[in-house]
Amino acid sequence: MIEFIKNFYNDTSKNMKIALAILLTLVVIFGIFAIQILGWGLGYTDMDNNFAWGAWIIGDLGLVALGGGAFTTGYFLYIFRVDRLKPIINSTVLIGFLCYLFTFVFLLFDLGQPIRAWFGFAYPNWGKGVYPASMLTEVFFCLSLYFCILLVELVPTILEHKVLIKNKVIKAIAHYMHLLMWTMAAGGTFLSFFHQGSLGGGMWGVLYGKAVWYSPYFFYLAVVAAMAGGTSFMVMVPYIAGKLMKKEYVPMETFQTLTRISGTIFIGYFIFRLFDLYKAITYYAPMSGREFFDMWGGYYGVWMLVLELILCVVAIVLLNPGKFRNQEKFMVIGASSGIIAIVTSKLSVLLHGFSAPNFPWKGFTSYMPTIAEWGITFGAFATMILIYMIFVKWFPLFPHLEKDEHN
Amino acid sequence: MKKIERKDFLKISGGALAGGLTGWVFSGAPFLGFQMSVEWTQDQQVVPKGLEKFVSAANDACPFGCNVRVRKIGERALQLQSDKGLCPSCQTSLQLLYHPERIKSPLKRTGAKGSGKFEPVSWDQALKDISTRLNSLLSEGKGSTIAAINKNESLSSIMMDQFVSTAGSKNVYYEAGLKSLETPVLNGYIDYDFNKADYILSFGARLIEGWGNISDVRQSYVNWKERGVKLVHADTISTRTASAADRWLPLKPGTEAVLAFGIANYLITSKRLNSSGAEFGRWAQMIINNYPVSKVASVTGLGEDQIKETAEEFYKAKNPVAIAGKGGIGTSASSAEILGVYCLNSLVKTKAVEIKRNSAISYNAEFSGLDAFIKDGAFNMLFLNNSNPVYKSVFGDELKKKMENAFVVSLNPIMNDSAAFADYILPSMTYFESGSSDNKPVVKSFEESKDARDIIITLAKMIDKTKNIFPFESGLKANTLAGRETATNGSFSYNTDKVKESIETLEKNIAQNNEFPLTLIPMEIPMVGDGDGLAFPYVHKTIDPSHYYKEKLLVQVNRETGKKYGLSENKSIVLQSARGKIGKVYVHLTDTVAPDTIAIPLGFGHESYTRYGNKKGVNPKKIMSSEIDPLTGRADWWSTRVKIG
Amino acid sequence: MTVKDVAMKRRWGMAIDLDKCTGCGQCAIACSQENNMPIFEDDSDVPKRVAFLELMKVTNDRDAKFPDVRAAFIPKMCQMCEGNDPKNPDPPCVSVCPVVATDVGDDGVVSQIWSRCIGCRYCQAACPYEARVFNWWKPKYEGNFKNSLNSDVSVASRGTIVKCTFCSHRWKQARDESVANGNLDINAPVYKTACQEACPVGAIVFGDLDDPKSEVAKLVASDKALRLTNSIDDLPEDKRKAFLKIKQFPNPKVYYLTSQKWLRDMMRFEKNS
Repeated sequence: MIEFIKNFYNDTSKNMKIALAILLTLVVIFGIFAIQILGWGLGYTDMDNNFAWGAWIIGDLGLVALGGGAFTTGYFLYIFRVDRLKPIINSTVLIGFLCYLFTFVFLLFDLGQPIRAWFGFAYPNWGKGVYPASMLTEVFFCLSLYFCILLVELVPTILEHKVLIKNKVIKAIAHYMHLLMWTMAAGGTFLSFFHQGSLGGGMWGVLYGKAVWYSPYFFYLAVVAAMAGGTSFMVMVPYIAGKLMKKEYVPMETFQTLTRISGTIFIGYFIFRLFDLYKAITYYAPMSGREFFDMWGGYYGVWMLVLELILCVVAIVLLNPGKFRNQEKFMVIGASSGIIAIVTSKLSVLLHGFSAPNFPWKGFTSYMPTIAEWGITFGAFATMILIYMIFVKWFPLFPHLEKDEHN
Repeated sequence: MKKIERKDFLKISGGALAGGLTGWVFSGAPFLGFQMSVEWTQDQQVVPKGLEKFVSAANDACPFGCNVRVRKIGERALQLQSDKGLCPSCQTSLQLLYHPERIKSPLKRTGAKGSGKFEPVSWDQALKDISTRLNSLLSEGKGSTIAAINKNESLSSIMMDQFVSTAGSKNVYYEAGLKSLETPVLNGYIDYDFNKADYILSFGARLIEGWGNISDVRQSYVNWKERGVKLVHADTISTRTASAADRWLPLKPGTEAVLAFGIANYLITSKRLNSSGAEFGRWAQMIINNYPVSKVASVTGLGEDQIKETAEEFYKAKNPVAIAGKGGIGTSASSAEILGVYCLNSLVKTKAVEIKRNSAISYNAEFSGLDAFIKDGAFNMLFLNNSNPVYKSVFGDELKKKMENAFVVSLNPIMNDSAAFADYILPSMTYFESGSSDNKPVVKSFEESKDARDIIITLAKMIDKTKNIFPFESGLKANTLAGRETATNGSFSYNTDKVKESIETLEKNIAQNNEFPLTLIPMEIPMVGDGDGLAFPYVHKTIDPSHYYKEKLLVQVNRETGKKYGLSENKSIVLQSARGKIGKVYVHLTDTVAPDTIAIPLGFGHESYTRYGNKKGVNPKKIMSSEIDPLTGRADWWSTRVKIG
Repeated sequence: MTVKDVAMKRRWGMAIDLDKCTGCGQCAIACSQENNMPIFEDDSDVPKRVAFLELMKVTNDRDAKFPDVRAAFIPKMCQMCEGNDPKNPDPPCVSVCPVVATDVGDDGVVSQIWSRCIGCRYCQAACPYEARVFNWWKPKYEGNFKNSLNSDVSVASRGTIVKCTFCSHRWKQARDESVANGNLDINAPVYKTACQEACPVGAIVFGDLDDPKSEVAKLVASDKALRLTNSIDDLPEDKRKAFLKIKQFPNPKVYYLTSQKWLRDMMRFEKNS
C-alpha cells in the first residue's frame, strides 16, 4: 500500500500535486463543516425564515439539472442508436451518478433532521391514485429509483477494471449488463422526466401562494432545461479533463454530436422560456395580484433574467450552425454559455424567488452563504472532481481509448 | 453426528444472519433506533405533567391593580389570564418569577461599586449590618441624610415612605410617574374620568402605549370607540396613538406646551373664560401677551385654523379632557406644560378632570423632584425599592458617583443598573410567591427571597425610632396603609414667577440652534417601555426589526431630513448633545417622524440588567436635556437638541 | 350518541380589529408563554426568530409623506388558509410536506407535528405569509425558565418547523373536558386561544366562522374585514369567480378589520413599488 502511494507520488506532475492538495484540503474542510452542521444545526448558515433555502438547494438544482445530461445521452445512444455517443457514455453515467449522489449529500445537510430522512419513504404524502400530493414525495421516490438505475448503469464500468474483468463470472455479468443497458436507459429517461420536472420546476410551480414561482409551465421547462444544459455539461467535463491531461479522452466528433443535440434542445428551451415569461407577465403574476417586474429587485434584479436569455442565445448561435460548432473554441464557448445559462436560471429561481417581498411594506431580502455553506458546497464539488479523476485514472471510463492503446 | 463442512457452515450462518437481519429490520427496531438517536442527540425535553389548577393572584405592587388567574400544572405556574387585561409588567411576571438570574439570597458587595462583584450572605448578617449603620446614623443625629427612591406608589413604597420619614428624613422620592410629577405643580395629581369624557385632547400623551394607568386607559380607549368619543393627539411622531386618533396634530418637537398656551389664549380671549388657581390673572396676561395664535402656529408648525378648530371643538364638548404628560410608560412634562394644559380643563370647567391627593403619600420631600435631589441633594444612606434611577434618570451618572460615596441598599428580585451600585442587595419576591391580602401564594418562595413589605417591617423593628410604626406583623396586611383620595381642585397656584424659568428653558430648546440643528425625541417600543421589559426573553421576540435588528438599535429619521444630512438606511451615526455623545445607532428612514427630528427608542443601553438586557443599544438619557424644572424638580428630558457627530 | 356519529361543524377562524390594536405585544407574550417558545439571549436576528405570533409594524411610507404617514401593528400568526373550497381545504403548505407533518383538520385548523417534521422547509417556502418558523438553533430554556413550560405543547427539537396551531392543545382539552362531563357532541366545546385571552382591548376575536351567532362570524361579514395581502377580495365578482375556477388561492381564515383606508391600501401590492 505504501509502495503504491510512493509510486503514485513520484509519478504525478507538480501541477497535479498542487491540484490534488487543493482538492484534498477542500474535502477536509467539507468534513469539518459537515460535523458542525450535522452536530450543531443549521443556525450556522445564512438561511432564515424568509430565505428558507440557499446554497445547497442551488447546488441540488444545478446538479440535478446538469446531471440530466446523463439520461439524455443515454436515451439518444440506446434508444435512438446514435452510436457516435458511445465513447462518452461511461463518463456521462459516472457524472450523472456523482451528481445525484451529491444531490442526496446536499439534501442531507439541508434537512433540519437528517436522521428522520427515511420518513419521506415511510410516511409519504401521496394524493389520489398515483399522483403524489407533495412534489418532494415525488422527488424522494423518483430520485432514489433513478439513483439506483444510475448505480446499475455504472456497475459495468467498475466491473471492467482490468483486474476485476479477468474473472470469468464478472466478465459475463458485465457483458449481459451491456446488452440490457437500454432497459435502464429507458427507465431512467422515464423517471427523469418526472424528477427533473419536479425538482427543477414542479416544486416551485405548484406553490400557488407564491406569485413569484407559481406557473404551470415550470415543470416542463425544467425537463427541457436539464436536457439542454445537461448535454453541454456532459461534453465539457471530459473535454476539460482531456485538455488538462493532454489526452483525447473523447473524440471530437462525439463532442460535436452531443453539442449539436444540446444546441437543438436549447432552441426549444429558449422559445418555451419566452412563452413562459410572456404568460407570467400577462397572466399569472396579475392573477396573484402582483406585477411581474415589481417582483424583481434588490440584488437579484432583472439583470439575472436578461443574462440567462443572452447566454441562451449565445449557446444557440454557436452550437447549432455547423460552421461555428465545428470550430473547437466556439463549441466550447457555446457549451459553457449554455451551462451557465441553465445555472443562472436556477440561481434566479432561488435567489430572486426568495428575495421577493411577501408583504407590501417589506423590501427585498438577500442571502450570503456563510463559510460553513461555502465549505460544504465546494468541498462536495472537490470530492466529485476527485472521484471523477480516480475513475479516469483507474477504471475504463473511456474504453475506446484503451482499445486504441492496445492496438 | 455428521461433520459440518466449512461450506455448509458458511451457508447456514449466512442464512441465519440474513434471516436475522431481515427480521430485525422488519420489526421496526432500526427505525425506532433512529428515532431514539434523534431524541438522544437532540437532548429532547419532556415537560413534566401534573394536576392542572387555576388559582387567583393579585399584584399588590402593581399600581394598576392587576388581578390574574394563574394556570398551574403541579407546582409550576404556566400562564396568566385576566378579564381586564394585564399591564405589561404583570404580563411578563412569569418570566420574572422563573428568571435564571433571580437573586437567591442577600448579596454583599465585595468589589468596587458597579463591578458586579457580590457575595451571598445571610439575612441576619445583612439586616444586622444595615440596621447597625442606620442606628449609628440616627444616634449622630444624621437621620435627615437617609433617602429612599421608590419605583411607584405601591404598598411597599408607602411603607418605605413611612419608615424613612419616621427615621427623620424627608427625602423619599418616586421614580418618573405622573403623580409625583404633577403634585408639586398642582398640589395634587390629576384624575381623569375617561368614561365621562367626550373629547380627548392629548398633548403628547401616548395614551394607548402605556401612559398613565395603563389598564384603565386601554379599557377607556375601547369605551371611546364605542361611544364615538373624539381623540385628538398632538405629537411629533406618528406613533400608534397618533395613528389611532381621529386627528393627529403633527407639531414640532418640544412645542406641546406652546400649543396649550395658544389654545388657552384663544379660549381666554374669544370666549372670555376663567380658570381656578391663584395668579390666574398674571398667567392669562402672560399667555395673551406672548402666545397669540399666529405665533403659536409658526412655533408648532400647525396651521392657525387647525389650532382654532381644535380649541372650538374642545370648548363645545360637554366634558372635554386635556391631557399633559408626554410619552408612554416613561412620561415627562415641564411645569409650564402641566399648568398650561390643566388650564384648558379649568377654563371650560370640565367635569371629567379632578385634582386629588392621596392621604398616604405626601410627595413632601426636601426637593420637589428626584432629579433635583440627585443633582443637588446629599445622602449617606440610600434605599432603592425596586427602582432604577441610575438607568432612568438623566442624572444617572451623577447618581452613580453619589452612590459610590454612600451606603446603598436595594430591594429587587433581579439585578438592575442601580442595584449594581449597592452595598447590599436584598432579594424581593414576586407576587406569586408572596400572595396578597386576598390570595394565598401561588408558588413557594424562591430560595431566600422575601416580600419587600416584610423586609421593611423587619428592618423597621431593628431601629429604635421606627420599632412600632407598623401595626402588623406581615406585609400582607399592609393594604390597611392604603390611603384615601380626596379632591383638591383649585388650591394650586400658577406660580408665574417660578414658571417663567420653565418657559425660558422651553423657548431655548425650540429656538434656532445652529450648533445642534436636530431634536432628539424618545419613543417607546411595546413591552420594552422605558426599560423594564428588556430583561425578559419573550419581550425580545416582540421587537419589530425597524426598531432593533441584529443587535443594532435603530433611530427613526424623516426621509427629507435623511437626504439633507446624507443619511441612508442603516447608516451608523453618533448623536451628540451639549451633554455628550451616544452611539453607534443606525438610521431607519420613515416619514412617521417630523423633519429635523430623530426618534430614539427608550429602554436600551442597560449596563447591568441580566444577560438579556445587557449590551443592547444605547441609553439616550445620558445625553438628554437636564435643565431641572423649578416646580417639578425634574428634568423635562423629552426634547434635546442634538447634532450628528 | 357516540362521538363518531356527529360530523364536525366547526370552522375556526379569527377576526383581528386593527383599529383597536394598540400594538402592546401582550398577545405575543402570551403565545410565547403558552407554546414553549425557545429562549435566546439575543433574539434580534429577526429572520431566524422563533415566534408563532409576529407583531408586524406597518406604516404607509410607501404611499405617503409626512405628515400623512400613519403606523399600525398587525399581529400575524398562521393564517389557517383553506383554499378555494372550505369543504375540501387545500392550504398551500399542506400539500407540499413530504412526510405529512402538517395537515389540515376537518375543523379547518392546519396542524403541525414537530416530531414528524424532517426540516426540509418546503412548507416555509410555500407559505405566502411567512407564518412558519424553523428551529435554526437548538431550542433552549435557561435555568428556571423550564418551570413555566406548558405540558400540553411538546418541546421541538432543532431542525423542525413550528407554527401557530390556534392553540389546538386547548381545543383538545376543551373536548376532553366536555366528554368527561358527559357531552359527546363534538360541536359543543368552545375555547379561547392564548392571544385572544391576553389582548387587553379585545382586538383578537376567535371562534367558529360557520356559527352565524358567533362574534367572529359577524365581524368577518362586515365591510371592515379583509385578508392579509389578498389578491382577489377586492376584485369584481365576475373576475374573482373566473380566477377561482382556474387557480387555487390561499383564502386565509384570519381576517383583519380596519376602517383606515391607508391600511387597506397597504395590505395590497401596488404597481411599480
